Amino acid sequence: MKNTEQMQMIPKIELGIVIDHIPAGQGIKIMEIISKAEDMKDVALSLGLNYESQKLGRKDLIKLQMEYLSPEIIQQISIVVPGVTIKAIKNFKVHSKVVVQSPKEIRNLLECKNPNCITNSEKHVETHFTALEENCKRVRCEYCERVFDLKELHALVD
Amino acid sequence: MKKDLISMEDLTLSEVNDYLVTAAKVEKTPLEERVKLLPGRIMAALFFEPSTRTRLSFEAAMHRLGGSVIGFAAKDATSVSKGESFTDTIHTVESYSDILVIRHPGEGTGRLAARESFLPVINAGDGSNQHPTQTLLDLYTIQKDLGKIEGLKIAFVGDLKYSRTVHSLIRALMMFNVTDFTLVAPESLRLPSHFMRTDQPGKFTFRETEHIEEAIRTSDVLYMTRIQRERFPDILEYEKVKDSYVLTAEMLEQAQDHLRVLHPLPRVNEIAYDVDKTKYAGYFPQARNGVIMRQAIILKHLGESI
Repeated sequence: MKNTEQMQMIPKIELGIVIDHIPAGQGIKIMEIISKAEDMKDVALSLGLNYESQKLGRKDLIKLQMEYLSPEIIQQISIVVPGVTIKAIKNFKVHSKVVVQSPKEIRNLLECKNPNCITNSEKHVETHFTALEENCKRVRCEYCERVFDLKELHALVD
Repeated sequence: MKKDLISMEDLTLSEVNDYLVTAAKVEKTPLEERVKLLPGRIMAALFFEPSTRTRLSFEAAMHRLGGSVIGFAAKDATSVSKGESFTDTIHTVESYSDILVIRHPGEGTGRLAARESFLPVINAGDGSNQHPTQTLLDLYTIQKDLGKIEGLKIAFVGDLKYSRTVHSLIRALMMFNVTDFTLVAPESLRLPSHFMRTDQPGKFTFRETEHIEEAIRTSDVLYMTRIQRERFPDILEYEKVKDSYVLTAEMLEQAQDHLRVLHPLPRVNEIAYDVDKTKYAGYFPQARNGVIMRQAIILKHLGESI
């Protein structure tokens, strides 16, 4: 079967968001991120797994019937599966697209594992981590200055 | 823009040098002139955990500049004991003062206060994280006593695993091109390896040993720390090592003439009292330098020149 025929397994959308170039096997993680977001509960979603891809060999793909993806969800995607492409579709065409890069900073998402860090006792304070490397594998809490592997702080990161 | 002093990691070499230069100017200024520098200014010293020396040193510094001090010395005496949040305490006290000095057992409290407040914030110790004014006064003491910092041979003795003073000072000394370190510690209290990490391989030497004698013979500075009983999971282990790092006047007969023995204080038994009378003892003048450095810090962060 040709790639174009495969793609039709998920119908084209007139208006929505496509998350593309997800490395095969990682699509399910993005599903998890989306399913946990309260404002995404009623959004129609299709998940395609293991499509052929020139770039990746195999890839996963997600289509969402909605106009905007919240910055919070994009931030999570950037941590868990950096490198994916997010496309906004209007009138069946790609209206805009952006490649999601590993973040330099992560705000108000991760909890610091240092029990003595002030962000764990002053819960109203937004947590703030900065990446120590390009790929964001190690991050530093901007408050207590402890360094962590990102996978220690986020369940979906390998 | 207001300027905070939260972490040595935030400072460049030239900024650190600037503190050292300002401290030297403070020291040269006669006391009767110094006391005219900050009339009517108020420093809030918020000590959420007891720390007698650091608090008194900051208070003395402010009084010597002609300013005054408000604050508290333990959290039991504050609204925090009634359940007030740290940030609310900061927002309240900032209406009463011109500069905040904060000591707190929670790590990251200095940074949080600095982000919350419109006043300059000085971190006077946040848990086991940072204590930048101690590091700056240590650098000032070394420079003053030995005429320079760069190229000195510096030995650290005692608890190198948990002592934030040691960690912070080693990183700062590396910035000043101190390349030769001797680390004297029992096996269980060795310096964590990430403090020796550098992007200039081969430049720095860290000699690790369990014997203090070599350090005494070869070093320019012997920086002593207290070994705390509670750091040992096994009390027998503590009993084994606790006396191996007691420095005596007799041991110092092997030292070079110009050796300086420093200690952040308080000492328990790691420096025998007979060392106090030797020419090597630098720890009480070091405490005096603390007041001078803190005057420099207060002046700089209130935007006053000297």
